[in-house]
Amino acid sequence: MNASRTSAIDVATRWIIFALLIAYTLYNIGPIFWLVLSSLKSRMDLFSMPPKLFFTPDLSGYQSVFGVGSAKDSASAVGVFDSLVNSVIVSVSGTTLAVFFGTLAGYVCSRFNFIGKGDFMFFVLSTRMLPPVAVLVFYHLMFARLGLADTRFGLVLVSIFANVGLATWIMKGFFDGVPKEVEQIAIVNGYTRMYAFTRLVLPMVRGGIAATAGFCFIFAWNEFAFASILTTTQAKTLPVKISAASGATGIEWTQICAAGVVLIVPVLIFFYLIRKHLLMGMTFGVLGRR
Amino acid sequence: MTDHGHTARQAELKRRSSGRLMIFGFLSPTLAILLFMVAYPIFSLVYYSFFNFSALRQTTMKPVGLKNYEFLLTDPALWERFVFTGKFVFICVALQMLIGIFVGYQLQKNFRGRDIVFTLLMMPMMLSPVVVGFLWRYMLNSEWGIVNFLLSSVGLSKIDWLGQTTPALWAAAAADTWMWTPFIILLATAAFRGIPETIYEAAEVDGASPAYRFFRITLPMSAPVLFIALILRLIDSFKQYDLFFALTGGGPGSSTETVSFAVAKTAFSYFYTGEASALAVILLVIIIGLSMILVRHLQKMGEKY
Repeated sequence: MNASRTSAIDVATRWIIFALLIAYTLYNIGPIFWLVLSSLKSRMDLFSMPPKLFFTPDLSGYQSVFGVGSAKDSASAVGVFDSLVNSVIVSVSGTTLAVFFGTLAGYVCSRFNFIGKGDFMFFVLSTRMLPPVAVLVFYHLMFARLGLADTRFGLVLVSIFANVGLATWIMKGFFDGVPKEVEQIAIVNGYTRMYAFTRLVLPMVRGGIAATAGFCFIFAWNEFAFASILTTTQAKTLPVKISAASGATGIEWTQICAAGVVLIVPVLIFFYLIRKHLLMGMTFGVLGRR
Repeated sequence: MTDHGHTARQAELKRRSSGRLMIFGFLSPTLAILLFMVAYPIFSLVYYSFFNFSALRQTTMKPVGLKNYEFLLTDPALWERFVFTGKFVFICVALQMLIGIFVGYQLQKNFRGRDIVFTLLMMPMMLSPVVVGFLWRYMLNSEWGIVNFLLSSVGLSKIDWLGQTTPALWAAAAADTWMWTPFIILLATAAFRGIPETIYEAAEVDGASPAYRFFRITLPMSAPVLFIALILRLIDSFKQYDLFFALTGGGPGSSTETVSFAVAKTAFSYFYTGEASALAVILLVIIIGLSMILVRHLQKMGEKY
């Protein structure tokens, strides 16, 4: 009697949990589904009431992002493809340099003790906490004076600064995973520390470097605040460009949705490739070595 | 003998100096860029915050002492922004932690297609925040938005989501929660899976209820990880700017302006650079203070476990 009542409660609880999970999944997946669907809609279908689930796909949003086809010459599409090129150049070079510098700093932080190491590590971590708009108040002046405003080089500089802290912390975590004996044995055998680092240790953290690069790329690729204030015409990145995509007929929703889909594809690929290292990157390597 | 000792000492010295060279050489690029891009701007911000100064007229700089701070701290509009930011942070963090821990707890077990389900669930946080803002603005449109369509199709009345203060706050919270709950799910799941099965088995033997298992074993044992998630979400939602830029534009009126948004508006719409610097300094003090307290607490937690 008692046993059957508890099992009835168990069944009810299980159904409630299941219903809540389904509700969350709909909330989570629904907007993504709507984004993809809307990126394929023509202007007519976009605003139709009730909203259409079935319609003839219209590729004009994607055409304007890639600068091809009939949508290419529309007023709202001018420079969108250039901004995609800017996005690729800025995030790829920013990521490469941030990972390079971060790998060097991460190695030193993992292997050596030096005065002020704790302060250095906290300073590096604190760059992650910094609100972009706060430093932007000054960047705005500094970039104008140094001739960096509206240049890709300026954005690359920002992208290195914004990611090098993350790269240092994650790479330190990966270096911590390599036994110190590797260098000790190499040095005993007459090799230099530099040789041990470049020829022995670096190849052992190849996967870690790739994961770090994935993370830095994702952040650089989606960055908005810095790029929106520090560019005016030439160096606009795709997120900035689409935020200004309002033509004579209002906001270009199709184009924004198409750009959203285009922006998520490389991130999805990187996410899949670095999935084993996700925790390491998302938490600055604090959790990675648990 | 002495000769041998001498060579050994020299080798030791050489090794140590090469180590020093490596520390210096390897750290200097990172240190240089962070000093140039963080330390120098922050010192300059503090300096400018004592001036009546506009980026548009850079020749006229009038020292005003603490006037900028005095003006800001007695301005009710700034307090309204802090209150709004506080409400937003509280709603977002509470919802994200609750949903994230709940879903993470359910998804910790292995099941078929787990990797695919996980990757799909993580998609919202892969989007650019500004795209998220526009997507929700598009879905929440009061005339032709899908959300109001769904509400009216189940017989509820349409809501002017972005045209009124309170619904706009909830709309922003819903968008931020949509984007970042996956992050909490990811961390919570990893933390829960890290708890050794033997502890649960021991509790099973003692006849522990599921609630006891969750509140007395799962939560305390994953506390440090969940606390890191909490810190990151707290700081990130506190400085949120991109989302409001795209979703509400600070409106209606200025009712959905976060402190970050107010800094940007003062600096880049009004060009009150001195005042914006003072506001940025206030924001920095709060964020750095907050993160130092939280990180210290985290270190204490780390020692305990």
